[in-house]
Amino acid sequence: MKRQLPVMVFALVATLLLQSPAMAADAAAFDAALAKAQATLRDAESKVQLWTTSDQLMKGAAKAAASGDYDLAIELANEAGLHAQLALATAAREKQTWQNNVPK
Amino acid sequence: MKKFLIACFLLVAVTNVQATPEQDRLALREFFAKRFPDLDLNEMINGLYAFDEGAREQWLEMEEFPPYEIAVEAGEEAFNKPFANGKGYADCFENGGIGIRQNFPRFDTDSGEVITLEYAINQCREDNGEAPLPWLTGELAEISAYMAFTSRGNRMNVVIPDDPRAVAAYESGKEYYYTRRGQLEFACENCHMQSAGNLLRADTLSGMLGQATHWPVYRSKWGETGTLHKRFQECNEQVRAKPYEPQSKAYRELEYFLSYMSNDMEMNGPASRR
Repeated sequence: MKRQLPVMVFALVATLLLQSPAMAADAAAFDAALAKAQATLRDAESKVQLWTTSDQLMKGAAKAAASGDYDLAIELANEAGLHAQLALATAAREKQTWQNNVPK
Repeated sequence: MKKFLIACFLLVAVTNVQATPEQDRLALREFFAKRFPDLDLNEMINGLYAFDEGAREQWLEMEEFPPYEIAVEAGEEAFNKPFANGKGYADCFENGGIGIRQNFPRFDTDSGEVITLEYAINQCREDNGEAPLPWLTGELAEISAYMAFTSRGNRMNVVIPDDPRAVAAYESGKEYYYTRRGQLEFACENCHMQSAGNLLRADTLSGMLGQATHWPVYRSKWGETGTLHKRFQECNEQVRAKPYEPQSKAYRELEYFLSYMSNDMEMNGPASRR
């Protein structure tokens, strides 16, 4: 066991070193996805009323990132941005059609 | 041919002319008169209780000891308590603030803004060196409840002055009301015109007419008395639209439009609802 200890320590350190760049890349990818989603939400919110789901998804993304699940975090951030774009699309369509519902 | 083309052009031009607020109001009454031919439209100031007989009986029993009474009493006390500078709310409003609820929201031609009653109450406070009150419930809603109580029996009398900014504010509120929003893509109109009187789960939906005459409201669901903008926020959330801030420009303009639609209807605030 004593002889194996240095090997085990080496293996552990090597594993950590090899994993770190991959984790950093995931975190960086999440940061990029988050920044993109935040910009989309800001832009949409300056024009229309957002869906409540966008904020919920962003909270979910932050929570997933905090727990280290960057894949899920990125997915949720992207979905939050998508919901903001859908809110914009609804508003653009409604701009053309809302008058049809006014009693005349 | 030339005459025919001119006639076509005029026809298109006439049909595209924006309706006046009064034309909108009359068309809305006509809409509900056709939708509910046996209903006295003036009953619509009572919301869902105009349609749902069973709920109406429960509500009438509740009105014998109305849950908003405490808010009215607290509101009267707060209304009459002088500010630190010795002045009070009565100094900020016409007729000392008594019996004037029906005139709100009003359009302020100086600032170009829609002023709701709650907005005016907080303006009064700030003009007298007092901190503004929270918009949705509590003391502000209580003062508003008292002022509404003193206005009972008066007729809604919202004025849209001959000012393009006032008309724009009204039109903006109108557009809001008829525009679908939120993940569920519902407009105010979908529930309170198309589906008025129908059940949404266990609740009967109220109609748009008279919707602005009875605020603030004690809602059993809230367990307290709250302002109309609290309800706006709740409606938005129900269709999964992110609510605006209370007393935001969008909500004040929505209230302006909504209130104008109830013009000439009896003021009956505060009220109680499920």
